[in-house]
Amino acid sequence: MDKVVNIRINGRHIRARAGQTVMEAAKAAGIDIPSLCHHPAVKPIGACRICVVEIERQRGLQTACTFPVTEGMRVETESPKVVEERKFILEMLFSEGNHYCPFCESSGDCELQALAYRYGLDHWIYPNPGESKPMDGTREYFIMDHNRCILCRRCIRACSELAANNTLGVKFRGAKTVICADGGLPFGSSSCVSCGTCLQICPTGALIDRVSAYAGRESQVERTKSVCLFCSVGCGSEIITRAGRILRVEGEWEEHNNGVLCAKGRFQPFKEERLRIESPLVRKDGRLQPASWEEALDTLAQAIRKSPNKKVGAWTTCRTLNLTLSEFVAVFMGKVGANIGVLELTLARFKLPMGGALNDLLSADTILVTGADPLVDHPVIGYHIKRACMNGGRLIIVSDNHNSMKRFAAQTFPLNEMGKAVKMCQESAMPVVLYGEETPPDQAEKLVALQKKAHFIPLFPESNGFHAKALGLRANFSPGQMETVYLLLEDTTLSEEKIKQARGAKFLAVHATFHSPLTEVADVVLPALLWYEHEGSLYNLEGKKVAVRQAVSLAEGLIPENEVLTQLAARL
Amino acid sequence: MAKIKIATDWLAACAGCHMSLLDMDERLVQLLDKIEITSSPITDLKHPPRDGVTVGILTGTVNTTTHLEVARVMRERCQLLVSLGDCSVLGGVPLMRNQCNMEEALRRAYIETESTVEGIIPRSEELGKPIFARPLDQVVKVDVYLPGCPPSADAIHFVICELLEGRVPVLKNQNLKYD
Repeated sequence: MDKVVNIRINGRHIRARAGQTVMEAAKAAGIDIPSLCHHPAVKPIGACRICVVEIERQRGLQTACTFPVTEGMRVETESPKVVEERKFILEMLFSEGNHYCPFCESSGDCELQALAYRYGLDHWIYPNPGESKPMDGTREYFIMDHNRCILCRRCIRACSELAANNTLGVKFRGAKTVICADGGLPFGSSSCVSCGTCLQICPTGALIDRVSAYAGRESQVERTKSVCLFCSVGCGSEIITRAGRILRVEGEWEEHNNGVLCAKGRFQPFKEERLRIESPLVRKDGRLQPASWEEALDTLAQAIRKSPNKKVGAWTTCRTLNLTLSEFVAVFMGKVGANIGVLELTLARFKLPMGGALNDLLSADTILVTGADPLVDHPVIGYHIKRACMNGGRLIIVSDNHNSMKRFAAQTFPLNEMGKAVKMCQESAMPVVLYGEETPPDQAEKLVALQKKAHFIPLFPESNGFHAKALGLRANFSPGQMETVYLLLEDTTLSEEKIKQARGAKFLAVHATFHSPLTEVADVVLPALLWYEHEGSLYNLEGKKVAVRQAVSLAEGLIPENEVLTQLAARL
Repeated sequence: MAKIKIATDWLAACAGCHMSLLDMDERLVQLLDKIEITSSPITDLKHPPRDGVTVGILTGTVNTTTHLEVARVMRERCQLLVSLGDCSVLGGVPLMRNQCNMEEALRRAYIETESTVEGIIPRSEELGKPIFARPLDQVVKVDVYLPGCPPSADAIHFVICELLEGRVPVLKNQNLKYD
């Protein structure tokens, strides 16, 4: 238990915890101390000075975000002296750069503007020299306007502490100081990985999202807490919408991903160019034609009934939610007795422990990665591993292939030397093992020796791989030997090889979000939902059940996959 | 009791602030029991009277040599000068021009704009010369500030009423906006 420290803030007695800062203690007691450079997700540095408070027996004013509480401390957070000082700090901030609100993207949501309102700044005392700094638009997804920057360094800390990428820093001195990437490269050609954490944490309009800029203020948008569906990490996210249109995605600070997302989950979904399937299609006279749900499902049900059980095959992507997966199994295995399986690997070969958490990575002293390249396939796991390495953790990679995490590794072993890596884990205090599909089973068996000691994180290739594995579904794709085949793709795409195999089926039904070469050859096409339209749950790679929430109402003609399967079952 | 005289004029402004002033609607009519608006850019009489007014209201950025003169005259002829709107208080949109070369800005505005056909840059001797754009208080002393783009009719009404009551207006909440 933490020691209790008795302090007084604005005359009020407060029981704080030892080790808390004045800011944290005040916040816990419901007392608001303004902050700009401070953000709970990153370490406080006291850069902007706006949180200054009066502390008895301290010379001058102190920054509440960095000052630790001590027994008997007396703090004044809004005394005349403090308010005067804060106004002065705001005046100084407004005297440099371009902080004119009327043509700023962030007006209405800007933390600097909110403070100027709070302290009643009705004009600026210091003339602004009006010198312009360049803008950087070299990044694909967002823009940096140095003129709107107040050098709070939140972005720098997010980049190094959360994404562990260490791209950002500052260059030049005094009034010429600017945020820079890799010591002065254009952001677009720097080591930036476009995770967008800096964009999300920026308190002003210095970082601007290209898609959602000027599309809606905080007071005009809705936020839906959901889960990212683009890999099995299942990062907590917030989907921001306005009038049924999605604007952007932000990471949820309170979840296991600590607010961090990756380009795959934050930006790339907005670059979608595939054509959406809007209504069911049925092949008539050799041509796919729009049809009603009834007709499409009748046609599919008829084809299933006509084929012998053993000649019906059904495969689903592991990107589907829990209810759809269970319904899929109930309909095709339970009712039809068909051959069923999944389209992606589910680590089904491995009998290794699971249940390790992302948080375990942060406190790990040794991290063993085998058969996977987290930085490419599960980037947020990659960032967490890099964070652990920065905190003194040791990364061991066991792989025969190229691995983009190799340069962060303390040791790299070929797969047949798994034993050496296991030994290193045995000798450490808090090891974590991450394993992916590329690990050969005989080598994976050696990891069993660590099951009492290490946390194990399975790196499933697709978002709901955990549940698919629990349901016993396997990647046994063999549509060529089937008469009737049902494929639930959601928004995933099949490899050309798989498409070729699927064409071997006599009757092919494809349940997908987008048109593709596969839907072109199908006999029945059913429209599926997109990531922000789903409502349900999935199991992330920690084995935790997380809620996926629908952010916009469904367009007419769209039916959730699990309901479609129920309606199909009723016809069988 | 004699009515309090108020004069208003604009510098480099879009007229939005004066629209907001008119937005006071019937409250403006009620105010006319207590005030007399001697001159404004939207009435026949444009210039503040020589014998002076109690309150002068200026909107817009100081953008040309003419604006310097307008600001100076208003300051001389009023007892209290109100700087109204973002352009006047903070510099506003015209300040963006300071970030580029003057000739470049003139060429863009008068010749290169998409809707312009055979444009020319006005260079008559009678026109003011463009200068480094700046907020009003960098040219003359300002007594009361009301930012906003434009300030709401409520905020303008509040400021005038406070002045009529003999108080210095303190802007809070919805009355204090920069956009």
